Amino acid sequence: MANYGMAFDYKLCINCHACEVACKEENGIDLGAKNHRLWIQEETKVSGDFWNLDRDKVEFMQMQCQECQDAPCMAACPNGAIYRDNNGIVRLHKDLCDLTRACMSACPYNARYVDEKNHVTDKCIFCADTRLARGETTTACQITCPAKLRYFGNLDDPESEISKVLSSRKHFTLKPEKKTKPKLFYLE
Amino acid sequence: MSVEVSRRKFLQGSVALSVAGASAISATNLFSSENASEHKSTNSRIPSTITTKTSTAKAEHVPFLCGICVNKCAGLARVEDGIITKLDPNPYFPKNRNMLCPRGNAGIQTLYDPDRLKYPMVRIGERGDGKYKRVSWDEAYEAILNGTDKFKGIKQILDEEKDNRATIGYCNGEGLSKEGFEVLVGEKIGSPNYVDEVSICLETTLGGYVNTIGTYGEADLTNADYLIIAGANRAEAIITPDTMDMFKRSKGRGLKTIVLDPRFTNTAVKADRWYAINPGTDLAFVLALTYVTIKEELYDKAFVAKHVEGFDEYKQHILSHNYTPEWAAKLTNISAKEITKTAREFMAARSPIYYQGRRSVFSKNDFQLRRAMAIFQGLSGNLDKKGGIVYGQKLQLPKEDVNAPIYGQAQARFDKDGIAIPSLKTGSWIVFRNMVLEGKNPYPLRAMFMRKHNPMAGVPNTKKTEAFLKKMDLNVMIDILPSDTTMYADVILPEASYLERTSPVASYGGMEPAIVQRKAAIKPLYETKTPEVIYKELAEKLSKPLWENTLKYDEDVQDDTEGMSKAEIEQYYKENGFDLAEPWEKPVHEQNEERITKAYGKKAWEILDEKGVYYPHMEEYHTQLNPNEFEYYPENKKHYSTQGDKLKVKCNLSNLTKKGVDAMPAWHDDMEFSVPAGQFRLVTGRHAQFTQSGTTNNAMLRDLIPTNYIWINNQVCEKMGIKFADKVEVKSPIGKVTIMAYPTNKIAPNQIFMLHGFGGSSEKMELAYGNGANDALLIEDKIEPVYGAAVMHDTNVEIRKV
Repeated sequence: MANYGMAFDYKLCINCHACEVACKEENGIDLGAKNHRLWIQEETKVSGDFWNLDRDKVEFMQMQCQECQDAPCMAACPNGAIYRDNNGIVRLHKDLCDLTRACMSACPYNARYVDEKNHVTDKCIFCADTRLARGETTTACQITCPAKLRYFGNLDDPESEISKVLSSRKHFTLKPEKKTKPKLFYLE
Repeated sequence: MSVEVSRRKFLQGSVALSVAGASAISATNLFSSENASEHKSTNSRIPSTITTKTSTAKAEHVPFLCGICVNKCAGLARVEDGIITKLDPNPYFPKNRNMLCPRGNAGIQTLYDPDRLKYPMVRIGERGDGKYKRVSWDEAYEAILNGTDKFKGIKQILDEEKDNRATIGYCNGEGLSKEGFEVLVGEKIGSPNYVDEVSICLETTLGGYVNTIGTYGEADLTNADYLIIAGANRAEAIITPDTMDMFKRSKGRGLKTIVLDPRFTNTAVKADRWYAINPGTDLAFVLALTYVTIKEELYDKAFVAKHVEGFDEYKQHILSHNYTPEWAAKLTNISAKEITKTAREFMAARSPIYYQGRRSVFSKNDFQLRRAMAIFQGLSGNLDKKGGIVYGQKLQLPKEDVNAPIYGQAQARFDKDGIAIPSLKTGSWIVFRNMVLEGKNPYPLRAMFMRKHNPMAGVPNTKKTEAFLKKMDLNVMIDILPSDTTMYADVILPEASYLERTSPVASYGGMEPAIVQRKAAIKPLYETKTPEVIYKELAEKLSKPLWENTLKYDEDVQDDTEGMSKAEIEQYYKENGFDLAEPWEKPVHEQNEERITKAYGKKAWEILDEKGVYYPHMEEYHTQLNPNEFEYYPENKKHYSTQGDKLKVKCNLSNLTKKGVDAMPAWHDDMEFSVPAGQFRLVTGRHAQFTQSGTTNNAMLRDLIPTNYIWINNQVCEKMGIKFADKVEVKSPIGKVTIMAYPTNKIAPNQIFMLHGFGGSSEKMELAYGNGANDALLIEDKIEPVYGAAVMHDTNVEIRKV
């Protein structure tokens, strides 16, 4: 029983994609550019000409399911296939999913894709059925990251590393106007 | 902060990811019985899917040392029912600090690459046409010894050459089994003609630093507060621990970072200041920094007085040549004001580092550039101390003596044309190859023994490499994949990959030294064998027949053995090292155990064998800081300062003068950067998702970078009518390629850039074949004058839309 969340020291990212490969290998995600539980997004293109590049806005952002506390995907699924497990992670009853893709349309974060191998929609679940199920305390993307920019842990435990980081550093969530209350935080 | 989230944006965001599926599909692949898109193998040891979800069942975690690039990170292979399902970082190795990069994570795909070399093969067609016959290991060794109707064997060649062992050449790529190959072909078989990656990589950097400050050293980026990093793209060419340490502290987190690069790289993204320096002019920049430092007396006077030799001459040299910032500004494209500011900031910083760099030789002045950088670092006094360039400590391993026979008929190596200080050990690839092609070798070179090395992609001027290989009577290749070079081999011996073999132990020095052991996570797949087993078996096959040849031609051996009985001759053969297989009598794992137990005791061996890493007091020192990070040595046990009074910075190497090399770094007019109108300077480099040609067939990595593009300045593209993904012909004085265009504002108008390692010519590598372009077809085979190392950034090209 936990309430898992993740925080990103996002400015440390060097856009190497180690997280993405680790995720695919750990969780058996198919190859193919569209099949990603997580991805790194190059935010803001470098503008200007070569001699006067406006380069300060370049950031690499970590993107994946934002683990909304008020999850639009859950509400949208006509089959009630989406549920929250007892670690607070939004999960899928695979046998109830018949690919209506309602969850995909409802997600403001574009976090879901169609897993064609299993004929379901898929997204990041914090390695819930692999690493966490084995009792490990890190996710594949977190442990492999060269910049060590990912914090993962129990938000309800004030002694957890993530709780301490969130209480000591400014942070923001994505698309707060959607009122989804994400459990993924970006550290300033 | 407002962030738009989009998968589509991700797909279009970076050029690497923007065009999917640019591969060429080869019709048939004789080497592969499996489809490249899925694993359809009937072999129960091959997973059914390309990526395998890890299970919750019990698994083994076998410590390995990554072999995907030269860096050597430690990891743990998760093995479930004989299948490797995941590679995780090993938390015990201070070098990679519990991380694996994208390539390290994708190592599974190289292990299970359907195109792997699976069994020994002997050529039945013409060189390069890919026609081979599957044979047994013994038949393959037999073909090396006695040849076939298509090629001569080594026995006949050495008979014709009267036992001149120098008629055999050999080459090898970096790795833990490299030394064994050098023992086999060099020390045991007796060839002096060895070339490897050194002369196409960091030779001048190593040479410049070692000759100036006595070491290449380790940059303590955890404690430095100011960094100049030039032409070293650590965000995309990942080196541990440098990449990890540096970017944690860049951008206002304690390490002020100045990046010099002709391109706007991901490293430049993280810089406080980025200078788009003209290619090949870094030396002028460093000389001007030095000028300001000396003129304004900013250097560490106490340190200089104690440790810097020849400072007065150097001071005089720098000032009298007027290496002013104004002078350098014109050459480098960095303003005098910025140069002056950088020099002042550097010398005022508590712990400034001018990063040594690594990679290839940029230009002909590279040796002098590295010397100037090392001296400049010395002037700051920030050497051999916390936050500086650190010498560190290495944990010694017992030396293994090789009983190397002496061959009276063997001649010396010859690749010395145009080189001031020829390397006796690793030679010069370009000079070696070109002298053979031009007939300048004093005796014939007739065979190449090759291992894990792809000069067709790595050595500038592929056409010459091809002609060189075709000239040989016998080519032997030991490798894991059918590379472009493998296609010119007469005998192919398939090697087990790094996840299938236990390798000789290695020691990594530095501030936090450690010993590591790579252990086989699974047994060798297919009919592959570990390198040391191949060395042993090949040695056993060749040993007696080649000894007979020595007896026939070597007068010294004839004199020594005259009148001896058969048994006495046999004893002579053994005692004098002519028994070629003797170094591999014991398996690698057993040798490792003996060496570690001898040096550090039984307990140390047990720790190393279980955890993959050992250093004294590891169990006491190694502590977990948080779920994801560890401390390896306590602060007061790190080896920051080890040199004491031994520390010397050598400004003036007067003994170089007689070899025609400047005793002190100096600028010459012919070093100026210039590109004729209508042409472009070609620069090449690496990417975080690829390691040169070695990973271009890796399905996972190719998914991240489908192909390489040519970067062309966007305004130039507009003028030339070139759009994204248009095909462009790139033509240099030595060749031409066709490649897709990437118009970008991240490169100067008179330069182009392409990733190295693409454009494979081997049809047996389905994903790599014909995908993108090979820069070695364009880069002219120029050498720098000190070691004869390949100059990579001195070629101008023309481009046109096709």
